[in-house]
Amino acid sequence: MATRPEKAITVSELRRTYHTSKGIFRKSRQVVEAVKGISFDVEFGELFGLVGPNGAGKTTTIKMLTTLLTPTSGTSKVLGYDIVRDVVEIRRRIGIIFGGERGLYYRVSGRENLRYFADLYGVPLSKRDKRISELLEMVGLSDRADDKVESYSRGMKQRLHIAKGLVNDPELVFMDEPTIGLDPQAARDTRAMIKQLVQKGKTILLTTHYMFEADELCRRIGVISNGEIVALDTPDGLKRFVKDISVIEVEAFGVVDADITALRQRSEVKTVSANLDGERQTVRIQTPKGSEFIPEVTKILSGAKIFDIRTKEPTLEDAYLRLVT
Amino acid sequence: MTKLQTFWGSFRMSLLHFFADPQWIIPNIIAPFIFTVVALVLFRNVSGSVALYAVLGGGMMGMWGNTLYGSGFALAFDRWNGTIEYVLATPSRLVWIIAGRSASNAVLGLVNALAIVAVVVLAYGSMFAVANPLLFLLALILTLASLSALGVVFCSAFLLSRSAQVMTNGLEMPIYVASGSMFPIALLPLWSHPLSLSLGPTWGIDAMRYAADTSYTGLGFGYWTDLLVLFASTIAYLAIGFWLFMVVEKKVRRDATLTEY
Repeated sequence: MATRPEKAITVSELRRTYHTSKGIFRKSRQVVEAVKGISFDVEFGELFGLVGPNGAGKTTTIKMLTTLLTPTSGTSKVLGYDIVRDVVEIRRRIGIIFGGERGLYYRVSGRENLRYFADLYGVPLSKRDKRISELLEMVGLSDRADDKVESYSRGMKQRLHIAKGLVNDPELVFMDEPTIGLDPQAARDTRAMIKQLVQKGKTILLTTHYMFEADELCRRIGVISNGEIVALDTPDGLKRFVKDISVIEVEAFGVVDADITALRQRSEVKTVSANLDGERQTVRIQTPKGSEFIPEVTKILSGAKIFDIRTKEPTLEDAYLRLVT
Repeated sequence: MTKLQTFWGSFRMSLLHFFADPQWIIPNIIAPFIFTVVALVLFRNVSGSVALYAVLGGGMMGMWGNTLYGSGFALAFDRWNGTIEYVLATPSRLVWIIAGRSASNAVLGLVNALAIVAVVVLAYGSMFAVANPLLFLLALILTLASLSALGVVFCSAFLLSRSAQVMTNGLEMPIYVASGSMFPIALLPLWSHPLSLSLGPTWGIDAMRYAADTSYTGLGFGYWTDLLVLFASTIAYLAIGFWLFMVVEKKVRRDATLTEY
């Protein structure tokens, strides 16, 4: 590729279907449409977010863009290369960082993990060991580099994942839920590293479940639901989807599913999200009525003990909930 | 350079894992060694070709077991670790990765075979002697290369399957018996001979016996013919392996079966 393309990623009408079967003797085949013709672009140097519920098509999209899966139809170019034809060219230039515990060789050291992947990426031997040392330094693992990965904490493993994803010095990095399962401090460290990478000029495509994370990190966000992009804008632009509503947030104990159903049935309520686990439950109600609706909420939740109830400005999470429910 | 780097990196990583996980020593070192010692004890009053069958039989068991299990688990291991997607997302061709891993398993098999020979020579020196050590070594190395190439062919099939373990268990003894490692293939039913003769290790074992025992008649084609067939079959296995990997890599990208296990 002689000249740099205009966009880091272009996606046009990308579609992916899976064929599954059920039953043992009388098998019936099913076609699942995981991604239904999505289109978007990512600029160079941009941190672009893809958010959506489980099964929305985020990971399938990333797998297609990283050449691990071929699309059923549609086209996409990554760094100017076609994701079906130019597989090796793309793989040389991208990094992949998935979240979760797996994806590392536990019985060898962190340094050996990086060395192996450097070999698979064809990092020149003259640069390999120096780059590995720099990456270990960057992710704060220099002291533990020669210990077996099985002795690492979850946060350390994620830092090693990040170093592994950068071992070929990629122009573009794909991150699939990189902070999933991390404790707050480790997640914060990971976000700081992601910001550092953007400052260094890397382009990043990130998927996450955490809306505050997307709000903090991403320049633009695509909201994906049921295999389709239902909104694509800056975090502030997405929040405008819910500018007509207020959010009533309730902290309580003893809220039951029937209370949530009763709230959802009210015509004044747009959406309700609830976390009913633990001793301090939270319920968020989106309504255009604002604080006027608080007495109604109190009445519906009369069987529960309410610790606090207040109206709040809608967040990106509220916009997200409006878009995907 | 990149292919060599991939091959060497995979070879090295495979060895590191072998030494990090000592349980592999049981099927790959201890079992073939016990097998050889038992065979030698059973045939302790004989010498010449019978002792040779026992020693080479045990050695082959180790080499073939290493290669088969190594190639079977080469990718199953990555599936379990969750590293398979990371490995396949690199620009390296999978076939070079597997070739490196298979070669390391074959070398471990060689160490195992040499250990068996050394122990047997020390314990039963009068029973086992190699007439032409250089030719024996040449045939042994080519047999190892052939086993590695066969491992690459099998591994491409294992990439498609979630049942690599079942397949390796099922393939170990048939290939071991069919290649005439433990006893002459003339003792096998006639219908199985084409299978035996299509296996590179059959010719390798025959060549090793020619080199070890001047009175050996074996398949009847002589040492150098055996070596030629062994070499040709190894090239054929590699060609088949490369082609299969191209087909299989496309298929797993299309069918999304990479991470299933």
